[in-house]
Formats: sequence, structure tokens, C-alpha cells
Amino acid sequence: MAATKGTFAKLLAGACATLGVAATPSRASEVDTAALAYVEPDRVKALEMVIAANHDLGDGLLGRIKFVYDALTGASANGAVPVYDAVQTFTRPSGRGTYRIQPGDTPLDDTFRDARGALSAGLTKPLGRLTKLDFGVYGSGEHDYTSLGANAALSRDFQKRNRTVSLALSVNKDTISPEGGRPIPFAEMLSPSQTPQRLDGDGSKTVLDGILGVSQVIDRSTVVQVNYSVSVADGYQTDPYKVVSVVDPVTGLPTAQLYEHRPDKRTKHIVYGLLKRHLSRDVVELSYRFMSDDWGVTSHTADARYRLQLGGDPGTYLQPHLRWYRQEAADSYTPWLLDGETLPEFATADYRLGPMTAWTYGMKFGRPVGENRRVTFRLEYYRQTPDNPADAPGQLAQVDLLPPVSAVFAQVGFTTEF
Amino acid sequence: MPALVRMDRTGAGWRGTFSAMAGPCEVLLDTDDSLLAHTLAQLACAEARRIEAKFSRYRDDSVLHAIHAAAGAPMRVDDETAGLLDLAAACWELSGGRFDVTSGVLRRAWTFDGGTRVPADAEVEALRVLVGWEKLTWRRPELVLPAGMELDLGGLGKEYAVDRVVTLLREEARVPVLVNFGGDLHASGPRRDGAPWRVGVEDPGREDRAARVIDLAGGALATSGDARRYVMSGGERLGHILDPRTGRPVRGAPRSVTVAADACVQAGVLATTAMLHGPGAEAFLQAEAGRWWVTR
Repeated sequence: MAATKGTFAKLLAGACATLGVAATPSRASEVDTAALAYVEPDRVKALEMVIAANHDLGDGLLGRIKFVYDALTGASANGAVPVYDAVQTFTRPSGRGTYRIQPGDTPLDDTFRDARGALSAGLTKPLGRLTKLDFGVYGSGEHDYTSLGANAALSRDFQKRNRTVSLALSVNKDTISPEGGRPIPFAEMLSPSQTPQRLDGDGSKTVLDGILGVSQVIDRSTVVQVNYSVSVADGYQTDPYKVVSVVDPVTGLPTAQLYEHRPDKRTKHIVYGLLKRHLSRDVVELSYRFMSDDWGVTSHTADARYRLQLGGDPGTYLQPHLRWYRQEAADSYTPWLLDGETLPEFATADYRLGPMTAWTYGMKFGRPVGENRRVTFRLEYYRQTPDNPADAPGQLAQVDLLPPVSAVFAQVGFTTEF
Repeated sequence: MPALVRMDRTGAGWRGTFSAMAGPCEVLLDTDDSLLAHTLAQLACAEARRIEAKFSRYRDDSVLHAIHAAAGAPMRVDDETAGLLDLAAACWELSGGRFDVTSGVLRRAWTFDGGTRVPADAEVEALRVLVGWEKLTWRRPELVLPAGMELDLGGLGKEYAVDRVVTLLREEARVPVLVNFGGDLHASGPRRDGAPWRVGVEDPGREDRAARVIDLAGGALATSGDARRYVMSGGERLGHILDPRTGRPVRGAPRSVTVAADACVQAGVLATTAMLHGPGAEAFLQAEAGRWWVTR
């Protein structure tokens, strides 16, 4: 299939347009390509390439395939506390070599370097006039992590197509084979000269998701969607690269770095609501998501987008985007452990499981370029502010324990329909 | 008024059938409103017959008849005719002279009846004098067609009628329609339930084969080629597509070409031009068309 039409067809279309007869775009296939750059200053840099295609296979069958490639480099917080006036030395996850953290700095493991490839494919098949069945498979791999999954969804229209009810199920099997093996929970991070104790084999987990969704047309310009989903993850969910610092209750100085430990089972409940309203030309989209899980994490996400049509060209728009996110911590979250106290059953200092507030400010611009092609540009700024604990002992009160994390996303997307 | 249009209830709406453009015409209307369906089908039939009458080569009240009767004298044409002539000019230029609405006279020499009668070179050369868009003068709205030359808008007229009917019905009502005039068709969009139209396109290249089933969520399809119309020459089967530049059948042309495009006129011109590219039909379609099907 030709990716673009040639000159003959283009000029012919122009000549036909002057005849004043109807032209009905026939859309059989669509190819999306996008490049995304993600930068957390001083931390992570990621570059992502996406290519996705949808194709009308005939008989109402729609096929889709998507390939994503990510390259990541940089450093990520290892969970340990900063030290006000001394250089800290940490052993790399492989057990070979060390990295040093300057006084007052958040300990970042700079061995974070990876490439990931993900491939997914799916089919949508109509079952009669009102029902649709969808199947998909997914696979991704990086040097220490593989994920395989499958999903199925059934949707049916009611009330003259004003209501759609859908049920989706998916299963994923993830395997992690960390560099240097999986540390024994709460084992101490040893120096490279010592032989660390490790768990046997790879860590794996199975994730089951179920989503029940209803989308309802309220009036000619308003659509509401409500989803309820349950996600059950069973298996190894500890981050083998993260530690929790044990600190002296008086000085606040670390006395040991222990590998973290998380529960093996996590059940999440998520409620999501979306309101989409077409104004005379523009489109407003508001959504809210609430998540609660048995690790004790709860989160709220409020998201607003406004699609502003520009000029006379219907495909040209500017879309500001604002998102607010608030998360309460997991029960097992603790920024440090106190020396001399009994170890809890689970503990993690991963800031991503801690209490935090995050804002995203974004802008997207889209416009058609030539026939059946669209280009989009997206720029977003994300700032995450963790809650800093009030009762930090000793030197911990003087360091920037959990500094805010900012990130910038830049994306260029290109869609061709043919 | 005589019942020109036959109406039948289909699973999802109404089908109107009538005869025009030298063949069966069909309009599928995705509505349960019987009165509306009947009205729209009548409109479709009237429009098809209007265009047929206007551009017929055989009727003495047609625009084409008047153009031919002018016998070399300048003639002003109406807007609709001018639009088609502009399109014909564009097609001729874009196709490097392959698509030429003046080439109809060549059919006087060639009989594609499956026999072996091939015209003598002299016979073909005598007619070639009367072929060539470059020999006429077209300055909208005035046409000067040298005496003896003829225009044949048959290669555009049927597809134009299909597009016109879709335009007309779309203006009249918001009902999903599929207009099919002898295999050249145009769907106004998906059906009421969002599903594509399932179109059985007869493959004129292979009569032994079942119709090709194409799902069309909107847009047009046109087919060029006719397996029954050929002539045998020295053991070689020559199809009915004549190259106006040589006056002879195109060698190595596919048996049939079907093209999908946004409008039926576009699909038709692309399909015919592909045939005129002979062995290069696929390469041409690869470069110029979205979805296409070739039978060799």
C-alpha cells in the first residue's frame, strides 16, 4: 500500500473538486509515528520512538500493531537518605564497583541505562450490529525485565447507540532478572569485596485486570464515561535496586543500607469518570480518577483539557492541558528506619510510594499537513513535590530529604491515513 | 408517473433499482423511513437520467450532439459541461496523453468480440488523424472541436453521475447512502450503525470467480476492464483498452483494475489510466492510489 499518493492523484483530486461533487474520504489504514523525549534534569533522560498502524482487514475486522522503542539513561533515587557533611559510597547493583554521592545530595544510582522494545497487536471484530469483540497480545523486553500479556474486551451498544457498555480483561506476566540477582529482603548492602546473599532465580509476578465501563451520550454534544477497574498483582514486586537507610535516632546518620521489601500481593480499585463536551467549535474534556489499594496507597487525579480550534482549518488546534495528582503513602513507605527498632514486615523508601502532590502543565498543537496527514507537537512540564517528614532526626532535618522532581516531555507525532 | 424505480426493503433499509447509463443502477438507503427512501431513489433516478441524456452520444438533443454538430465552429458550453471538459483536459495532461476523451472514434476500427479481426494499419492511421486532445481548443467556456473529431465522455460520465447523485442525496437528507451504477459506486459514509458497507464488486476480469467483497466505510470504487471484450491477434489476446497515442490496444494491460478513492470520478480515472499503463499498471497504482485490486 502506498504511503502517500502521487502527484497524479493529488492533481486529479483538485480537478475533481472543481466539479462540485461529493468526495468522501475513505480511510482504510492509519499509521502513527511519534518521537518522545523525556528529561528529568540531573536524573533520567529518555527517548522513545513509536510506530503504530491500524488497518481495515475487511469483513469489519480491524487490525492494529504497535512498536515502541525506548532508550533510557541517567540516574534514579536508590531510596537512601542524604548525608549533610559526608560523601556516601554505594555498591552498584551488579556488586562490581561503587558510586559516590556528594554531601547533602539525594543518593542517585547512575547505573540506570536501558533500552526497551515493546510490541503489541490486536484485532477488533464486530459480532452483529451492536456487539464488538477485541483481542490483543503484548510483549516487551529490556535487559532485566520482560513482560508478556493478553487481553480481551467485549462491548455492546444500547439505547440506539447512546450507551455503550464494555467489559475488558487482561493478564500480564512480568519477569525481572536483576543485575547481580535479587537481594534477600532487608539484607545489608555490602561492599563490592563481600559476597552478597541473593534469592534464587528470577522474580515474577502475574497481574490480572478487569474493567467495566459505561459510556453514555447525554445530549448532542456531551458524552460521559465511567469506568470501574480492579487490578490484582501477585508475585515479586520489590524493587531489587532500592534500599532503605537505617539511621541513628539521635544523629540521623545512616548506620546501614538495607534492601527494601514489599508485599507480594497488591489489589487496586480504580474509579474513573470523564466528561467530554463539544462547544460550538472547541472541545472540553474533564476527568477524575480515584485509586485505592491494599498497600494503603490512595490517589486522586484531576485532568482538564481544552481543545481550541484555530482559524478556518478544522484540523488545526491548540490544546492546553492541566493535571493535578495527589497521593497518600503506602503503609510500608518510610523514608528511613530507626536503628534499634524492630524491623517492620515490609519497608520501602521509594518516593513513588510516598505522599506527594504533582502538577502537569501541557500544551499540544495539531494541524493537518497535506491530504490525510496530521502532525502534532506536545510539550509538557511535570513537577512532583513529595511531602517531607516533619520528625526527621539529627542531620536529616538539615538536608533536602525529598527534593521536588521535575520533568519535561516533548513529543512530535505524525499520522498518515490512507 | 410510471414506476421507473423499483423499491425493495433490505435488512437495514431500502434498495432502489432502476436502469440508466446502459446498465443496472442501484441506490441503497440506510433508513427505515419508507417515504424518504422512495423520494431519494426517485431523485437519484432522475439525476442519472438527466446526466445520461445530456452527455449521450446517441441522442440528438444532447450537448455532445450539439458539440459534434458544430463541426469546427466555436461553441459556448454550460458550466457543468465546462467542468467535465476541464477535468478531461487535466486527465489528458496528467496522464501524458494516455487518457484522452477524443479517442472514441478508434472504436470504429476495432471490434472486441473475441474474434480475430484486426484492422489494417491504414484503417487505424486514418482514424488517428481524428484523435488527440491537443487538436482541439478549449478555453472555458468556449470549445472548438475540429470537424470529424468526437468527444466521448462515457469514461467520465457514469462516475460523475454516481458522485452527483451522492451529492444530491446528501443535500436532501442525512441518510447513509450507497450509489452503485454498474459497479462504479460511492458510499456517503459508514452505515447508521457505524459499520462499513459490504460491497460485492464483480470482477470483470474473471467471470468464473465470485464477486470480490470489499468493505467500504465511505468513499468510492471504480473498476476498469471487461474480460469479454478482446480480440485475438497472432495468438495474443488484446483487451479493449485503446491507447490514443498509437490507436491500438494497450499491450500487457491487466484484465481489470479496481481503485478506491474519495470520489468515483477519481477512482474511475485512476483505474482507466492504470489500464493504459499496461504492464506498468501496478507500479502506477502503487504510486498514485490508496487501495487497489488488479486481476491479470
